[in-house]
Amino acid sequence: MTKQDSLFSYETDTGRNGFSLSVRLGRIKLDNPVIACSGTFAYGLEYSQFYNTAILGAVTTKSYSLKPIEGNPPPRICETASGMLNSIGLQNDGIDIFIKKYLHEAEKLGIKIILSIFGQDPEEFRKVASRAADIKERIIAVELNLSCPNVKKGGMAFSAMPDEVEKIVSSTVSILNIPVIAKLSPNHQNLVEAAMAAKKGGAEALSVINTVVGMAVDIETFRPRLGNVLGGLSGPAVKPIALAKVYSLTREKILPVIGMGGIFSWQDALEFLVAGASAVGIGTANFIQYDVGKKIIEGLGNYLKEKKIYDINDVIGRLRA
Amino acid sequence: MKLLNGEILSNEKYSDNLYKMEIFSPYICKDAQAGQFINVKCSPEGVLDPLLRRPFSIFDIEKKFNVFSILYWVKGKGTKFMSGLEKGDMLDFAGPMGNGIDLNGDENNILLVGGGIGIAPLYLIAKLAGGMKKNVFFAAGFKDNSYLRWEKDLIELKINYAVLTEDGSWGEKGLVSDYIWNNIKSFKNYDIYCCGPRDMLKTLQNIYKDKNNKVTALLEEKMACGIGVCAGCVVKLKKGKKGFSYKKVCKDGPAFNLEEVIFD
Repeated sequence: MTKQDSLFSYETDTGRNGFSLSVRLGRIKLDNPVIACSGTFAYGLEYSQFYNTAILGAVTTKSYSLKPIEGNPPPRICETASGMLNSIGLQNDGIDIFIKKYLHEAEKLGIKIILSIFGQDPEEFRKVASRAADIKERIIAVELNLSCPNVKKGGMAFSAMPDEVEKIVSSTVSILNIPVIAKLSPNHQNLVEAAMAAKKGGAEALSVINTVVGMAVDIETFRPRLGNVLGGLSGPAVKPIALAKVYSLTREKILPVIGMGGIFSWQDALEFLVAGASAVGIGTANFIQYDVGKKIIEGLGNYLKEKKIYDINDVIGRLRA
Repeated sequence: MKLLNGEILSNEKYSDNLYKMEIFSPYICKDAQAGQFINVKCSPEGVLDPLLRRPFSIFDIEKKFNVFSILYWVKGKGTKFMSGLEKGDMLDFAGPMGNGIDLNGDENNILLVGGGIGIAPLYLIAKLAGGMKKNVFFAAGFKDNSYLRWEKDLIELKINYAVLTEDGSWGEKGLVSDYIWNNIKSFKNYDIYCCGPRDMLKTLQNIYKDKNNKVTALLEEKMACGIGVCAGCVVKLKKGKKGFSYKKVCKDGPAFNLEEVIFD
């Protein structure tokens, strides 16, 4: 760690200094509640040019499937008011390349890794999970990206179908024997049901929310602005939606929640914690402010000191509603 | 690559929509190469609309004075914001990004083909190639004479050039790709760098399909991160005989072998 980064080690050391940012989500213990979201951080290497990414509570990797996926045709990005649409299409090199090539590099950086995986059907989820089981000592959890389309069920997202959620979670939990996080989509009415299904399946925590379905049209050409027509909206534009979902889920006390959606500052992060999230995910903000993770950890630490709150857990879920 | 704040030394209006901004940055001037770009935050501090940074090619570097410049066309909210910045303001940017261009292995003759704002990354290539005593020719095409003021920069390079405009208001009337086609024999032993609209690049790809010239295209795409993480700025490149793969403009490019680019 650099000298600057070591300033924050006190936050994990409650015994000596009194201020603690560490949080727990089931068996997942984090030094601080700040996690880099899947798909916005690769596995940390690029951002290590800007700060020591090992200070993050954890980094959730890009989502990996069994075989490499080329992704959607461009254009894949379109900016909207205070937000962005993307239709990357889960482009990735496949789980085997991650294990062979990238995992070691992430470990060298000292990153605590949450491996994100997905499949086009429950069978693929199981196969990727068995690969992940081979490296389970080297990662702290596996996140299931349940917002991807289920090819066997007409392309409907897994998280729209609570039965499928339970099946996939329980099968991966039994293969993995390490904490499993279910990442849920905000695009369906049955978020609470999906969350309960994830709990029944044995999930340790929930990641909420994935991107909100959206689109944009070029009025010169009458063509959609994304090659895939529809995309996922992220950024500050979705923050109120994300907060509401996190609030409504955590009120039900189903599972601990990693709240994410449009967090750009420590103040945003604090809103999610107060609304009930046990940890926060930083996504799109990484694209703009490359060292935002560090800034948010610093900001939360300073907030605790200023307010003389000794434990971040004392703000979690303390919404006066 | 670093996140930087650089003082703006000038933000000169070249025409209604064309601006040249000079920024003080010893870091960029020391490390950056032709073909690389910077990623600019186009909103005031703490404001998140427009949200994403915008990539701009490095137009020129004056190492001696630690000053580099970008040439930009005001098109949307982001560039509109930039056009309002003044001397003394700070520019929030990151860079240098993308791969630089190495002219060392190139032919002694270099042809630059630029269309519209595509001239921006080519200018520095022309300058460096000129400095290496290569024979440099710059062919530039525009819709009209809104880039006229740029000719003054070009004259400073003391290289040969041709300007074409679609309306004939400046230079020869016509398309730059037609100009290349008509003069193909005079550019026989040239290595070529091109940047501009898709149609121009497509035509150049056809022109050079069965020629032996090394043709490098500098491509642009909408970017989110600019550092190779999001896979948002991909272009389709040939892979094997019939296949293709997506490459990131920001990290794998922005320069690609034109022959390999697939324009759908």
